[in-house]
Amino acid sequence: MFVMAKPEICNEEGPRASKPPVIEVENLKVAYHVYGVAPLQALNGVSFGIGSGEILGLVGESGAGKTTLARAIMQVIPAPGKIEGGKITFMGTDLTAMKPEELAKRRGRDLAMIVANPRGELNPLLPIGKQIALVAQVHLGISRDRAMNMALEMLKAVAIPDPERRMRAYPHELSGGMAQRVVIGISLVCSPKFVISDDATSGLDVTVQAQILSLLRKLVKEQHTSMLYITRDIGVAANFCDRVAIIYRGEIVEEAPTAEFFANPIHPYGNLLLAAFAHDPTLRERWSASAPTDPEMTTPAVCLYADRCVRRRERCLRDHPELRNIAPKRQVRCHFPVER
Amino acid sequence: MGIARYVGGRLLFLVPQIIGIILVGFLLIKAVPGDPATLMLGPMATPESIAKLRGELGLDKPIPVQFFIYIDKLVHGDFGTSWQTTQPVLEDLKIRFPATLELVTYGLLTALLIGIPLGIVSAMRQRGFLGRLGDFYGLVAGALPDFWLALILIYVFYSLLSWVPSPIGRIDVMLVPPATITGFYTIDSLLEGDWTAFWSSVQHLILPVLTLGLINAGPILKMTQSTMERMLQADFCQYERLCGLPEELVMRHALRNSFPSVITIVSVLYGFLIGGAVLVEIVFSWGGAGQYAVQGVLNSDFNPVLGFVIFSALFSLVVYLIVDLIYLAIDPRIRH
Repeated sequence: MFVMAKPEICNEEGPRASKPPVIEVENLKVAYHVYGVAPLQALNGVSFGIGSGEILGLVGESGAGKTTLARAIMQVIPAPGKIEGGKITFMGTDLTAMKPEELAKRRGRDLAMIVANPRGELNPLLPIGKQIALVAQVHLGISRDRAMNMALEMLKAVAIPDPERRMRAYPHELSGGMAQRVVIGISLVCSPKFVISDDATSGLDVTVQAQILSLLRKLVKEQHTSMLYITRDIGVAANFCDRVAIIYRGEIVEEAPTAEFFANPIHPYGNLLLAAFAHDPTLRERWSASAPTDPEMTTPAVCLYADRCVRRRERCLRDHPELRNIAPKRQVRCHFPVER
Repeated sequence: MGIARYVGGRLLFLVPQIIGIILVGFLLIKAVPGDPATLMLGPMATPESIAKLRGELGLDKPIPVQFFIYIDKLVHGDFGTSWQTTQPVLEDLKIRFPATLELVTYGLLTALLIGIPLGIVSAMRQRGFLGRLGDFYGLVAGALPDFWLALILIYVFYSLLSWVPSPIGRIDVMLVPPATITGFYTIDSLLEGDWTAFWSSVQHLILPVLTLGLINAGPILKMTQSTMERMLQADFCQYERLCGLPEELVMRHALRNSFPSVITIVSVLYGFLIGGAVLVEIVFSWGGAGQYAVQGVLNSDFNPVLGFVIFSALFSLVVYLIVDLIYLAIDPRIRH
C-alpha cells in the first residue's frame, strides 16, 4: 500500500532502494480523548518512510496533526493523546513497543527533535554550553570536559559568533536566531540518525531563516542524518526538502519528490497550497473558491477534504479515498486527481 | 564590585525605611488609649503626681516633639526604659530578641526539612500516596493553631512520656545560662564548652521548635509542591525529557528553578514568626521578644514595643536583602 521512499537528490552512492528506511511510520493513529466528547482523531493512519540522509518535508495547515505526528514519533504525546494503532519502526525496532527507560536513552541520541520557540524551551538557569554538553555527557557517557569540548565544537558548527564566550551565555542573553542555533546544536550533538524539525524556523526573520536552513541542510547531509521537516511554509519545503508529503486533517493526501510535486501537484489541496503562494490571482481564485453546492453535503463526508474541495463530486461523499500510487514515487489520496 | 555597590545602596536605603517604620509604629502606639503614668503610679496616685510624672516622661509635649526626642535618643543608642522591667529596652532586647531568633530559626529549619522534601515528592507523585499525604498535611498544618499543637505536644511528651524537661524557659532553672555571645544558648554554651547547659537548652528547644516546624512546614510544602508541579510541566523540562535527559536530572533542574519561590515564602515566614511565634513563646514561657512586646502593648509600656518594632523591622529588611542576594546568585536573568 505504500511505496518505500528512495533518497533521490542526495544519492552520491547511487540508488539505495535495497536499504531499508531509517524510520518507517505505518498506519499511525493518534486520538485525543476528552471526557464526554467524541475523541478527536488527530492522526488517521499516517504512513511514510524516510531513507538515510533524506529530508522529507511534511506540509500542512494548523491543526493538521503535524506536531502530534512529531510528538508521537518521539513518544511524548501531550496528556489526553494516545497512540491507538500503527507502528513506528526506527532502525529495526518498534518505538511504540519500547520501554520508557529504553526510549529515553535513544531520545536525543539516535532520534532528536528541533523545537520551535527555542528560548522558551531552554533551561533559563543553565549556560547554553552546559546544556549542549549535558546531552552529550548523558548519551555518550563521556567526561564533562570532553562534553564541553563537543559543545564548543557544536557551537562552532552552527556558526554562532564568538563561541568561546557564548558557551557561558544564558538563554535570555540570546536572540531568537541564536537560540535556534543552540537548539539545533543540542539536537545534533550526538550525531543522531534521525531528526525531526517541528516548525523550527517559522518564528525567525526570513534572512535568519534562510541562513539556518542552509546550515541545517549542510549539517544533516554531512552526518547522513535523515530528517522530517515539518512546516506550514510550502515555499521553504520547496527549497529544503528532497520529498514532500502534504498532510490534511491527520491524513497524508499527497506525497511526491519535491521537484515533481511543485511542477505538477495532483491533489486539490496540494494545488490550493501552491496556489496560495502563487503570484497569479486567477490561479489562486480557482483553487481557493468555495466548494460547489451541487452534490450537497448531507452526512459527514468520507473524504476529509470534501467540504472544502472545489472538485467535489458524488463519490467523495460516499467513499473514503485511499492513498494510492498514480505514478512512480507519487502517491495521492483522491478519487479525482488533477490531471494536466 | 557590582555586587558590593548594590549591597551598599540597599544598606543605605535601610535608613529611610527604618525611619518610616519607626514613624508609623510611633503614631500607632500613641493612638492606642492608655496612659503609662497612670498605670505606673497605680490606683492611689494623685492627679498632681501623675501630671508630674507625665512631665518627666515628656508625655505632655506635642506628639511631633515626642517623636523627635525619641529619634534623638535612638541615634545615641538609647531605646528608652521599660517601666515593667525597669531595665533599658536595649538590654532587655539583647537577651530576648536572640531568644526568639533562636527558637524561630530552628523552627524554620525544621519546617524546611519537613516541607521541602514532602513538597518535592508530592509534586512528582501527584496521584500517589505521598502526593495525597502532602495535600493532607498542607491542609491540616494550615488549619491547626500552633498554641494548641504546643499544648498537645507538652501533654504527650512531658506529662505522659516525660521525655522532655518541664516546658518552662530556655534552660533548666538550676543551671546558669551561658554568657551572651551570640544570644543563642545552644551556640553560646558550646563556645563555653558547657555541655550540661547545651544539652539542657536543646531539650528545652525540642517541643517549641517542633511546634513551629510542624505548623510552618505547611505553607513551605504547598509552595514547593505547586512551584515544582509547574516547573515539571514547564517547556524547558519537557524539552529536557525530549532530549532524553534522565528524570532525576530533569527534577534537579525543576527544583533549582523552583527555589526562588520557596526562598520567598521562607523569608516572609522568617520575618513574620519573630512576632508570630508569640503564642508558642507564651505556652513555653520562653521569655522572647514577642512576649516582651505583647506585655508592653497590654501595659502601655511604649518603649519595649517600639524597640521590638525596630528590631524586627531591621531583621526583616536584612533577611529580604539576603534573599535578594540569593536570587541574584541563582537566577542569571536578574543580573544586569
